[in-house]
Amino acid sequence: MEFLSVALAVVVAALSSAFSQGIATKAAMEGIARQPEASGDIRTTLILALAFMEALTLFSFVVAILLWTKI
Amino acid sequence: MDLHALQEVLEHIRPSVVFYLGPVRITTTVVNTWIIMAILLPLAYLLTRRLGTVPRGAQHLPEMVAEFFHNLLEETMGKEGRKYLPLVGTLFIFILFLNLSWFIPNMKPPTTDLSSTLAFAVVTIVLVQLIGIKKKGLKGYIKHYFQPTPFMFPLNLLEELVKPVSLSLRLFANMFGEKTVVTVLFLMVPVFCPIPVMFLGIIMGVIQAFVFSLLTVIYIANLIKGH
Repeated sequence: MEFLSVALAVVVAALSSAFSQGIATKAAMEGIARQPEASGDIRTTLILALAFMEALTLFSFVVAILLWTKI
Repeated sequence: MDLHALQEVLEHIRPSVVFYLGPVRITTTVVNTWIIMAILLPLAYLLTRRLGTVPRGAQHLPEMVAEFFHNLLEETMGKEGRKYLPLVGTLFIFILFLNLSWFIPNMKPPTTDLSSTLAFAVVTIVLVQLIGIKKKGLKGYIKHYFQPTPFMFPLNLLEELVKPVSLSLRLFANMFGEKTVVTVLFLMVPVFCPIPVMFLGIIMGVIQAFVFSLLTVIYIANLIKGH
């Protein structure tokens, strides 16, 4: 049961961050398709935004690892 | 997975003590950082020994990195951004090599240890604050905490304090997670199964090194330009 809670912590975070990353990437790709000359700018901003979203998953991952070692 | 398996996994990831220097523990993190430095210094010397105006051969490689960050700095800060190229470029190359060092067999990469990434982040953030003080003067620097309205002071302070934490945790957790996944997969199915994840590890290492230096650039630009 405790392991389930640890797994759930990562799963929920990964699910939501994957969803938001998908939305962000979709918007960026539409932007590139509409305006290919701005692709460099968009790419840098996209990577930055993705890194910020990824960080939240990773924080919960660290918390899960800490919980796992406690059990 | 029971506790025994967990111990086995963490043994492959956690830094272990190599030797004692008086009361100070010298872990694999420090030793591996020394090894990377020993690789990186001769490499830098060899690659930049005979610099020509027209690059040829191996000179393309460092020039590509330098040009990329040069363009990035000019886009974000204009002409004065050029002098931060050594800082940002060094951070990128050093972190890249640390991240990719886990393809050396039996090597525990130093970036999977929180203490080393925290050191990177604290050094970077302190340097960024010093650059801000130098550019704006002490008065202007203190003033930027009260920028839109004085009410925002706690939030601005919190923002500055959270920066090193998020910067170090991002790098640490990425590399730690990558290594954990590969180790668990390797313990379950040793043949072929970890290879795709290892490819992902290469991409992740490059992107995380890039994100670290990109965030440094953006913090500097924020502080110089002001809100």
